[in-house]
Amino acid sequence: MENHNLIDRYFENSLSPKEQKQFNNLLQNDLKFKAEFQFQKDLKQVIEVNQKEGLRETVSKIEALAQKDSRMMMLPKKWIVAASLLLITGLATWTVKSTYFPSNDAIYEEYFQLERNTVQPVVRGESINTIEYKAFAAYEARDFYKAINLFNSVQNPEDSNILFYKGLCFLAVNKPENAIALFNQLTASELNTVQTEGLSDKANWYLALAYLKNNETDKTIEQLTTIVNRPPPGYKKNEAEKILNYLK
Amino acid sequence: MNQQEPKNIIELLKQGDQKTLEKIYLENRNGFINFSKKYNIDEGDAIDIYQDAILILRENAINGRIDDLQSNISTYLFAIGKYKIFHNFRVQSKLEMTNDFDLVEENIDFDVNLYGPVLTNEQQLLKKYYDQLGDRCKSILNLFYYQGYTLDEIRTILNYSNKKVLKSQKSRCLKQLRDLVNKHYGKS
Repeated sequence: MENHNLIDRYFENSLSPKEQKQFNNLLQNDLKFKAEFQFQKDLKQVIEVNQKEGLRETVSKIEALAQKDSRMMMLPKKWIVAASLLLITGLATWTVKSTYFPSNDAIYEEYFQLERNTVQPVVRGESINTIEYKAFAAYEARDFYKAINLFNSVQNPEDSNILFYKGLCFLAVNKPENAIALFNQLTASELNTVQTEGLSDKANWYLALAYLKNNETDKTIEQLTTIVNRPPPGYKKNEAEKILNYLK
Repeated sequence: MNQQEPKNIIELLKQGDQKTLEKIYLENRNGFINFSKKYNIDEGDAIDIYQDAILILRENAINGRIDDLQSNISTYLFAIGKYKIFHNFRVQSKLEMTNDFDLVEENIDFDVNLYGPVLTNEQQLLKKYYDQLGDRCKSILNLFYYQGYTLDEIRTILNYSNKKVLKSQKSRCLKQLRDLVNKHYGKS
């Protein structure tokens, strides 16, 4: 036990000179003491290596943690920035686009309004059995397919009013090509007969909208320009100018 | 920074407190990597140097070189790292480093072997059985043989009622280890 104390004090660096002498003496002459000391000295080195390996491992683990953290911190940050940039750009583009560069459809939706039936006043409770009357009744009831069929069957299918309202029906049911054909007839026939005051002006306007709906932007612009260049007070002149600003 | 803090941290480092090591590591890592970039040292190399600096810091804490450290740990850690950068990469401008180098040269032992001695076969065997010891034994033996605490200090750190109990515990640990080794030789 006394000898073990000496070994402990050796490792504590606290041997007195006298004890040191005793220690050296035992080391030279006592094999058991020497073996015990050697064992503990070996152990000291073993623990040192063990600790240093452990520390390296620990540091690697911390580093892995740091890299994971920085990935978690960096990537989302990057992503958040990227995502918000995208979002902002997207929103801005969308806002700017929809405000300053609205789609053709959006413009169309904003400006397209069905013309009131001014040709054949439909009176409730009255039943007039002409096809034309039924056709306008269907138009007012927004039954556009029925109206188109009836307009086709009227006695005077080439009448400007019939063509005009049939065109409106086609616009209303999203068939701008058919509407274009009809409105074109009206605008071309302008020189020949103007049966109803202002009808060709209206036809021009709806033709422009039909081109717009059909995504024929060049023709829309051409058509709108015609409207704008009419002498005042041109029908829908201001609206035409606004749309031109969007499209150009 | 609080004057108390470095001492406290160094003490915790000495005792092998993992949380402290982790905290120091993480707090200074990115700063060091960014610093290294100034000298065109890529992140991988910077991390290697930084890890060595951390190991050196810990070694020097254990061997008592920084018991009276006047600066804070970060400054010290950076000083080690910078020193390593300038030595490993032979960076030209050392002007801004002079103060740090004084600090380093005063307080640091660069010769610490970061891997420890090469073990003999017997020691390898001993290491294998040391790993099998319980945590209590390991911490006593570690504090005593590696970290250099006296039995009196260990008694305080590990809350032993008296030194005698601690001493007999330490003896039992050594005996357990010796028995494991002897058993191995008895078998083979």
